[in-house]
Amino acid sequence: MKLAGLRSVENAHDESIWAAAWVPATDSRPALLLTGSLDETVRLWRPDELAAVAPPSRGHALGVVAAAAHPSGALAAAASLDSSVRVFDVDSNASVTSLDAPPSEVWGLQFDPKGTVLAVAGGGSASVKLWDTSTWQLIATLAVPRPDRARPDRTGSGKFVLSVAWSPDGRRLACGSMDGTVAVFDVARAKFLHHLEGHHMPVRSLVFSPIDARVLFTACDDTHVHMYDAEGKSLVGAMSGHASWVLSVDASPDGAAIATGSSDRTVRLWDLSTRTAVQTMTNHTDQVWAVAFRPPGGTGVRAGRLASVSDDKSISLYDYS
Amino acid sequence: MASVYIPVQNSEEEVRVALDQLPRDATDILDILKAEQAPLHLWLIIAREYFKQGKTEQFQQILEEGSSPEIDEYYADVKYERIAILNALGAYYTYLGKIDTYLGKIDPNQNKNFTSAIQYYNRASRIDPLEPSTWIGKGQLCVAKGEYQQAFNAFKIVLDDDPNNVPALLGQACVHFNKGENEDQYKKAQEYKNSLEFYKRALRAYPNGPPAVRLGIGFCRYRLGQYDRARQAFQRVLQLDPENVEALVALAVMDLQTNEAAGIRRGMEKMQKAFEIYPYCPMALNHLANHFFFTGQHFLVEQLTETALAVSNNPIMKAHSYYNLARSYHSKRDFEKAGRYYMASVNEISKPQDFVLPYYGLGQVQLKLRDFRSALSSFEKVLEVHPENCESLKAVGHIYSQLGQMDKAIETFRKAARIDPKDSQAFLELGELLISSDASAALDALKTAYNLIKKGGEDVPIELLNNIGVLYFEKGDFEVAEQTFKEALGEGIWLSILNGKIDTSKVDSTLYSVQYRDLSLFQQLEEDGITLELPWDKVTSLFNYARLLEQLHDSEKASLFYRLILFKYPDYIDAYLRLAAMAKAQNNIQLSIELIGDALKVDDKCPNALSMLGSLELNDDDWLKAKESFRAAKDATDGKDSYATLALGNWNYFAALRPDKKGQKLEATHLEKAKELYTKVLTEHHGNMYAANGAGIVLAEKGQFDVSKDIFTQVQEAAAGSIFVQMPDVWVNLAHIYFAQGHFALAVKMYQNCLRKFYYNTDTQILLYLSRTHYEAEQWQDCKKTLLRAIHLAPSNYTLRFDAGVAMQKFSASTLQKTKRTADEVRSTVTELKNAVRVFSQLSSASAYHSHGFDEKKIETHVEYCKHLLDAAKVHCEAAEREEQQNRQRLELARQVSLAEEARRKAEEQRKFQLERRKQEDELKQVMQQEEHFERIKEQWKTSSTNFGSKRKDRLRNEDEEGGGERKRRRGGGSRRRKKDKTRARYEEEEEADYMEDEREEPDEEDANNMVNDQDEEAEKAQDHLAAAGLEDSDVEDDMGEPSSAINRKRRAWSESDEEDEPSQRPLESSPAGYKENSGESDEEMRGKSGGNADVEEDDE
Repeated sequence: MKLAGLRSVENAHDESIWAAAWVPATDSRPALLLTGSLDETVRLWRPDELAAVAPPSRGHALGVVAAAAHPSGALAAAASLDSSVRVFDVDSNASVTSLDAPPSEVWGLQFDPKGTVLAVAGGGSASVKLWDTSTWQLIATLAVPRPDRARPDRTGSGKFVLSVAWSPDGRRLACGSMDGTVAVFDVARAKFLHHLEGHHMPVRSLVFSPIDARVLFTACDDTHVHMYDAEGKSLVGAMSGHASWVLSVDASPDGAAIATGSSDRTVRLWDLSTRTAVQTMTNHTDQVWAVAFRPPGGTGVRAGRLASVSDDKSISLYDYS
Repeated sequence: MASVYIPVQNSEEEVRVALDQLPRDATDILDILKAEQAPLHLWLIIAREYFKQGKTEQFQQILEEGSSPEIDEYYADVKYERIAILNALGAYYTYLGKIDTYLGKIDPNQNKNFTSAIQYYNRASRIDPLEPSTWIGKGQLCVAKGEYQQAFNAFKIVLDDDPNNVPALLGQACVHFNKGENEDQYKKAQEYKNSLEFYKRALRAYPNGPPAVRLGIGFCRYRLGQYDRARQAFQRVLQLDPENVEALVALAVMDLQTNEAAGIRRGMEKMQKAFEIYPYCPMALNHLANHFFFTGQHFLVEQLTETALAVSNNPIMKAHSYYNLARSYHSKRDFEKAGRYYMASVNEISKPQDFVLPYYGLGQVQLKLRDFRSALSSFEKVLEVHPENCESLKAVGHIYSQLGQMDKAIETFRKAARIDPKDSQAFLELGELLISSDASAALDALKTAYNLIKKGGEDVPIELLNNIGVLYFEKGDFEVAEQTFKEALGEGIWLSILNGKIDTSKVDSTLYSVQYRDLSLFQQLEEDGITLELPWDKVTSLFNYARLLEQLHDSEKASLFYRLILFKYPDYIDAYLRLAAMAKAQNNIQLSIELIGDALKVDDKCPNALSMLGSLELNDDDWLKAKESFRAAKDATDGKDSYATLALGNWNYFAALRPDKKGQKLEATHLEKAKELYTKVLTEHHGNMYAANGAGIVLAEKGQFDVSKDIFTQVQEAAAGSIFVQMPDVWVNLAHIYFAQGHFALAVKMYQNCLRKFYYNTDTQILLYLSRTHYEAEQWQDCKKTLLRAIHLAPSNYTLRFDAGVAMQKFSASTLQKTKRTADEVRSTVTELKNAVRVFSQLSSASAYHSHGFDEKKIETHVEYCKHLLDAAKVHCEAAEREEQQNRQRLELARQVSLAEEARRKAEEQRKFQLERRKQEDELKQVMQQEEHFERIKEQWKTSSTNFGSKRKDRLRNEDEEGGGERKRRRGGGSRRRKKDKTRARYEEEEEADYMEDEREEPDEEDANNMVNDQDEEAEKAQDHLAAAGLEDSDVEDDMGEPSSAINRKRRAWSESDEEDEPSQRPLESSPAGYKENSGESDEEMRGKSGGNADVEEDDE
């Protein structure tokens, strides 16, 4: 397995780019790359030439911190620092709704695999909010309890929920928080199951393996990527190699590899059979805030693609094979 | 059996005395001799027989009786026998004296035996002064006393008389030989030649003489380097006397010196034969001992050398014996005894040239016993003789390094390496010495050593590979370093770890937190039958390799290595500490503390562990414990450990800045103490950058920015050299200084570089400093963006949100305050204000489940104020839009007016000549009056605006002096704190927030005033907010205490002055419109203007 650089766009945004997500292909167009930035815009890019699809879409006060696309490819959501989520139609750029549940902030967000629920990490509210995607009503608040062996927590960062991930079967939801704990929920019963321990610093990104609903990857500021058995509560392996915070992790559609982006300015590709870094991309000149594998599907699109975005305002696209 | 027949006096009979049956009591014989008046030669014969039988007492008794005065009288005419008796006695006493001298008991000049001998010889001379045997005896006595010149004279007398006198010839040969032994190099040969000449003469004179003559010839030839002829001489001796030990030994020595196996074997056979013939020959004994030393039979060595010592008189021979003995003990590692015998050996030697080996041995033993000075002088003796002896040079170099004289040591090793460029040992030691001073030279030397050893086909020592690896590591050449460590480690379990074949097996995630203390993995492996061999000499390399893996961010493998070390060597403290450091880096403080606890269990005085514990406790905000730990660390090293001292210094510095204990006096004491500790470290280690940095901070605290800037700059330069020294603090401190001195652009650059260089742009604290600088420089957008980045990095830090809110509010206020603004600007202001309101209201509601430390009322006020500002801005926005439109209209109007004017002028021109001149004059007058009025107003403006300018300057200065200074202190504190005490940053930020808060006051009032001026209908509402601001003002005063209230007063004074200048600016703006009054403006605008003017008048009055 390897990555090969395809194209980079410098100054793709006016400011640092913080979020990236692939919008699945629809009948009328291929999959698009959605990016969000501190410049308060989200933009859409067409692979492989990374051409801007439409003018920048505004309306994201204080900068976009996360973006997610509906599995149908029609809708997308972006969370901004002003604690609101804007849901919009991808093709027309028309706002569908704006979600906020004060005083909860919004951080990571993710549509469930069926596309019926949008999960939003609730920051300081120590919870994950679930929104119904047909009525745009808040349907559940999954609160993260304090772990049994509670650590002294004087900084107020305790259960600040940063990131969410759905399991591929949609039955489980995991969220990462500032203090490093990862909570796993049973979605159907809206019930907290258990914590996955091992990190003690913010877990900014996590993703389930697309081929095994039990396997969860977490990216943490402690420079490690952990591989958990989310059901068995056990740590399968720890991967070290980044020099600084691991900001983002995504699993390849074939489930054989993961990619990580780090504040050490690199993108790494990890072979899961050996759990070692097989490749390190150094094309970015600042923190790499997001990495995203293109989901499979679409007409005649077989090749694997990985996109990364960075504080250096650039987007890079790689061929994954 | 030989017998002596004593003639019986006055008869023909004789008494037969069997010589082997001499009576034990000599008196019996004496009685017979005296009674029968036996001839004196019989006396001599009997005495000599006694001597031969070793009965020296009887010998002495007879001869003394035989030389008594009665005998002299009785045998007065028997001269020769009397002389012979006296000479025999003289020779006997000479012999006794010689023994004494050799045993070193008595000074030859005070030797009684020699005196007695002289007396007998003198008596003999009195009987016949020309008797040659007396002179020969005297000569021999002189030889025995070492008075060779006198001996020479004595023998010469005899030889002058009889040139072929064999004993004299032999004596003379002996004199010359001895002179040769004692002379300086260049005279030796001549003396040996002389000696040889005399031996030859003796041999010619008496060809059948004793083998000793040929022996003498052999020795002379040997000394003269004519080995073959010497060998012939010795062999001739052996032909004559097959049991001649000296010849045997001499031949054996010559055989040994051939340095060939066969020669040595022949030599040893001869030695053995000599030993069998005569077991007391010291030379043979020494050589045999030497031989047995090399065959390792130490018991024989000791026996032989002890015998040799007992029988030997020759100092050099004894030195050899002692040396053999010492060497034997040395090889048995009995250094004390060895040292004693080496010393005995050395004491036998007058000049190191004679026999240098014991000095070397002594030096080695002294080195071993760590008596470096003595060892040094021993080796220097060796070097006197062999100045290019590499072994000694290396020893000397080693001693210098032990004595801490590194320069000399390096020089010595350099010399050794130069003399023998193939001596890997010299390069090795040279390299090791250079490591601390000159890493690249050290690497070169070690590489040379490595290549030499490799070429020699030997195994490269692990230490050498380890050192090379470390040097590459330090150079940043990680790949080569890794290769080297791998080579050092060779085969082992670590390879499986590196290949990822052994990985942390599945563990329950709740157990993962203690993973670094978990050794069960290795237990499991052993149970599975995998041998985990880790030889002690590889531990260091393994540890270093683990360090390298850490540097390469492969902390998983590094931790496995450390744990492997601990599994095998649970006392290896450094491995605990590294694991603790790694746990700390992952923010697993609990695990880190436990690991340090493990380390302290091994050694509860380990300063490193204590220091680390201290810093962890400080992290945990446990001040007292931390101080205790640092103290303990300091005590454990007798205050020699700079780190502990530094840590205490830092502790004091932090303590000085604790916000909750802001006692002025306490602060000063802590600062003083911190400075003292930093200075102490600096005096001990001039190059300690951390201490210098600390000193710089203390100076900055005291406001000596220029000095501290110099210090910081120097430290920054110094820190740039090494990959192991990471000193971001000094960058931050420098930036703080720039900030304090108002060089905002430089400060921004410095903060940014620091962030980029050391933190991968992830440190929110520095981002906060950066935003603060932007804020001071009134770059609101940059300030806001920086804060947003910080929030993105530290989402749970609500203080940052508050600050971002303040920045947006400030930006909006300043835009609204501007006299000229476009509608776009105002519109963006409105958005900004909306965001600010959102941020503040979220903060306010978030406080329900977060104690982020803000006063809710305060936030509330901000929200209200922003909302109010928003309302105001809306109006502004409308006004601005309207103004824009009006501007357009105005331009249109102006164009029309000018067209109309043109038309009118033309018309007037036509009428000009027809109209009355008076009307024209009236008009002129009117204009002049108007101008006068305008001039007056202009004057007014001027005075009021200069007033404003000076006040503004005042304010800036005040801020520099008071506010600036105080702010600085907080900043400086923050920079150090970041290193040790992340959690304390919160306090700091609150202060920050507070500060921004009180900065905020001014726009508050200003804008409120603006409002009053501009919006009559809003007046009431604005009044409310003014009151709110004022209320908050008093809050702040309470918080800040005395000094800040002074600042506030100043500020208020300034805002008052603002009030004055604000309206005075208005007319300026409106005046052009005022002149265009005629051209027609909207009534509303007019009213606004006139309102403004009215205000001016009021204020002026």
